[in-house]
Amino acid sequence: MITLFGIRHHGPGSARSVRAALEKLRPDCVLVEGPPEANALLPLFADPETTPPLALLIYLPDNPQHAVFYPFAEFSPEWQAIRYALTNQISVRFMDLEQRYLLVADRTDPAPVPMPVSPSSDPFQILAQAAGYSDSERWWERFIEQRRTTEGIFSGILELMTTLRAEVEALGQIEPQNLVREAAMRKIIHTAQIEGYQNIAIVCGAWHAPALTHLDTVQADEALLADFLRSLSRDRRAGSPSSQPAVSLIPWTYDRLARRSGYGAGIDAPGWYEHLWQSESDIVEGWMVKVAQEMRAEGLEVSPAHAIEGTRLAETLAALRGHPLPGLPEVEDAIRAVFCFGDETPLYLIHEKLIVGQRMGKVPSAAPTVPLQRDLFAAQKRTRLEPSATPQTLDLDLRKPLLLERSRLLHRLNLLGIPWGELQVASGAKGTFHEVWRMEWRPEFAVNIIEASIWGNTLLEAATNKIQAKAARATELPMLTRLLEAALLADLPEVIPPLLERTQFLVASSTDLSHLMDALPPLINISRYGNVRQTDTALVRRIVDELITRVCIGLPAACSALNEEAAQEMFAHIKAVHQGIALLEGVESSEHFQAWLRTLTTLATLSAGHGLIRGLASRLLYDAHADPDTFSRMSLALSSGAPAADAAAWLQGFLHNSGQALIHDPALWQLLDEWVLSLSETSFIAVLPILRRTFSAFSAPERRQIGEFARNTGNRLLSATEIKLDPVRAEKALALVNLILSPTPYDER
Amino acid sequence: MSLILRAHAEQQFAEELAELAKADTRPRPPNWRLSPWAVTTYILGGQLENGFTVTPKYIGSRRLIEVAVATLATDRALLLLGVPGTAKSWVSEHLAAAISGDSTLLIQGTAGTTEETLRYGWNYARLLAEGPSEKALVPSPIMIAMQTGKIVRVEELTRIPSEVQDTLISILSEKTLPIPELGKEVQAVKGFNIIATANSRDKGVNELSSALRRRFNTVVMPLPATLEEEVEIVRYRSEALGRALELPAEPPTLEEIRRIVTIFRELRAGMTTDGKSKLKSPSGTLSTAEAISVVTNGLALAAHFGNGELRASDVAAGLIGAVITDPVQDRIVWQEYLETVAKERKDWKDLYRACKEME
Repeated sequence: MITLFGIRHHGPGSARSVRAALEKLRPDCVLVEGPPEANALLPLFADPETTPPLALLIYLPDNPQHAVFYPFAEFSPEWQAIRYALTNQISVRFMDLEQRYLLVADRTDPAPVPMPVSPSSDPFQILAQAAGYSDSERWWERFIEQRRTTEGIFSGILELMTTLRAEVEALGQIEPQNLVREAAMRKIIHTAQIEGYQNIAIVCGAWHAPALTHLDTVQADEALLADFLRSLSRDRRAGSPSSQPAVSLIPWTYDRLARRSGYGAGIDAPGWYEHLWQSESDIVEGWMVKVAQEMRAEGLEVSPAHAIEGTRLAETLAALRGHPLPGLPEVEDAIRAVFCFGDETPLYLIHEKLIVGQRMGKVPSAAPTVPLQRDLFAAQKRTRLEPSATPQTLDLDLRKPLLLERSRLLHRLNLLGIPWGELQVASGAKGTFHEVWRMEWRPEFAVNIIEASIWGNTLLEAATNKIQAKAARATELPMLTRLLEAALLADLPEVIPPLLERTQFLVASSTDLSHLMDALPPLINISRYGNVRQTDTALVRRIVDELITRVCIGLPAACSALNEEAAQEMFAHIKAVHQGIALLEGVESSEHFQAWLRTLTTLATLSAGHGLIRGLASRLLYDAHADPDTFSRMSLALSSGAPAADAAAWLQGFLHNSGQALIHDPALWQLLDEWVLSLSETSFIAVLPILRRTFSAFSAPERRQIGEFARNTGNRLLSATEIKLDPVRAEKALALVNLILSPTPYDER
Repeated sequence: MSLILRAHAEQQFAEELAELAKADTRPRPPNWRLSPWAVTTYILGGQLENGFTVTPKYIGSRRLIEVAVATLATDRALLLLGVPGTAKSWVSEHLAAAISGDSTLLIQGTAGTTEETLRYGWNYARLLAEGPSEKALVPSPIMIAMQTGKIVRVEELTRIPSEVQDTLISILSEKTLPIPELGKEVQAVKGFNIIATANSRDKGVNELSSALRRRFNTVVMPLPATLEEEVEIVRYRSEALGRALELPAEPPTLEEIRRIVTIFRELRAGMTTDGKSKLKSPSGTLSTAEAISVVTNGLALAAHFGNGELRASDVAAGLIGAVITDPVQDRIVWQEYLETVAKERKDWKDLYRACKEME
């Protein structure tokens, strides 16, 4: 005897009905629609560590991106059927066409859709419209899922589907692939019968149920399957159908179950369904209380009285609309009117947290995975980082060993193309020993992990291999230094020496100065990170030394006779290098800095140099207090003899982005001010357009402030040195300032 | 036809209400004239089983009306919130007419509304002559509604001073109104409820206290979602108004209405319908109700001074009046609109000329 249970995937009502019907039927074998390859994984479903939502992941090992997911939630009828069978020691297996054929057949289709809920023509839609519903989901929900009595429901569904299919078949709209799948299902049922099972329960999508009632089509099925296989092997570009897919069990999230994201499973509100499944009675009341608690946690004023009134309104609405029980639309309407005072915004909040839900499943450690995944598990345990579907921010202080370990883990995963954490641009104040990550685990990382496992069996090994492979292909210095930086952050000690060696080689052979300059800032960063990250940076320092020397030598030559575009590029390079060198420790007195300043001096006086570069060099020198001649340089560059375009470029280079500096640095202001005052009227008028052009690059508030400044302070500014200070009186004020600013009481200091 | 300028909803639609009551077999809450389903049908329109057609009173979201009716059925008070001209009072009048058969129990909220208006007042001549007695008592509409189990409407609730508003709290939660002078109280009969309307765009309003607010279920009345919906509302309402005012003009052409609604929607959104150019928005709300009044105004002009057919010149005056509420700012907005948008549209030449002539 076989009994058919036609269900909707992920329907809590179906799940409840299936569970009740199975308990009544007490079958000796349960067949569940699903990939037969995954039969070996079935015992894992009963593992106490297993928590839904989960998904079966079936992929071709040679092409992991080509994968199919079979998601299960707690309220999935399939999940309940499997759990029932396993706890009662009843034989259970999956029943469908083997996925390896489908995977191959699907190859041309970039987005595999797991478990089609209904065929393309959607006969359910026709049914729903006939019953006066806009949406087939609503119809099914109302008539099948919300039903509280399970008696006779499956024979009703079977009858309904049989009629529907007859209609669709008459129109010739049955998808051929569905026919093949159903033939395969029948074959599996037949095998079970031959094995001697007497009382077989079959749980499958409602649409397939009518096709499984007649099992006397063995020969026709064999022919159909054989035809299908032949069609596959004919299709050469599909690859070999014999390649065995691998099967794995991975954690899934409600977000992924919801229709709005990638591998949709056809449901809108997993959180609401979970609630429907978990609560035997008081569904609306329970939901209202959950919503009230969530809103209270968000600081909204919601009292139990609101929950009571919300429940009453939802129930009245359901009665008005002629439903026996309030559904999600009634509940949402009630919440909007009672909780939110007609406002939509708080509803978005509960949509994310409650209606979709943020639950994430857990797989038992015994689940078959690639070794890389197991290594990741171990690393997660070691660093006490739990994957979570809820986005969160992680602030890592790299001076603490555990947090440093976490940072390394995240950097390694990023290298392997598993962006679990996204490094936020660190705010300047936090320094080099802080990292801020934005963490969010996505179920499809399971695929990325499998993909990355071609590089190695542990995270360290895989990341090392991947970076080495990339480095071998890198022919340009900047690319290589970026890899080097990544390797240091991810703490891959093995690759660093060969990478550095290759860098040194490229530095020596590279003739392109811009590449050298590009490579310098990351390398300087590396040498700075060194002491926090406990990496040996002596070698890096050596390369940096060499790079700086080479840049200093080559730069003057590289800066002569540049056109506008090249000058702009060089401008950015020089600024970056200057910032890098300024960051080196003990820089003021170091040889490099002196050499760099000498180079800048050369640049500032380079007669063939572009105005932009000369201006920049003069400014950098001025900022470093290393140039007594800034004033004369300025007069020279901006004198009436100089070509206007060149003078404008010089001023632009000198005053780049320094609207703020002009306002806050009296000395710089004075310098400019003095120069303007020193001009005769005619030369002032001549130089005015150039000045205007430069100032127009500043932001509007900066210009306004500069203007006010010029007006208010008259034509001369007092610099700090010109104000006579009384040290004794200042001392008294300082004591008070100290008291205000210091966190500890003054007496203790 | 009677000389009454505007009949109450229950008078104007008496036939529809009677037909609905006849056809309505569903359970009715105590003291309701119709079942919640029939009330919804009355507001949104539809066809009864006996073929009788109920005209729609509100064109818009079914969900909103269902929530409003269900709220009244749960004996919670209903607060209709929205910008001016979104049919708040209109819906509340029809709800009261359909549920209680009486839309006349009305309190207009103003800054001068006192507690007496909400509770009860005294006939002072009688009070002085006979002392406090029931005969000397002047009941408020709320008190009458409580005694008779009807719906009472409070218009512009947020214009009432806060301390007066709070009088409603005990009426809504205890459903009683004590009269200490007589040592008595009025206990509400089943069917009593309050529909309040409030304006979300007004200045100088008194926000509801949270104690009062949580005794109301709030339904926000939106502006019409699409051009088609708004054109339909304006056409339907101006025809009905034209009939009521006995204007001999032809029903307005759909084209003319569409133009007016387009102008209103574009100025309101600050953007042309094709989303290509940005516009300034005038200071007024430019609601659908104002569009309706522009059309009826035009109809009256056409009927009495024109040939009875609505033309661009008939609507121009009303249009300008509706858009320009601030004589300085809005005039600039309007002129910009005329010159940049209206002038460019080929089939708007007549409207453009008519508007230019008005200046």
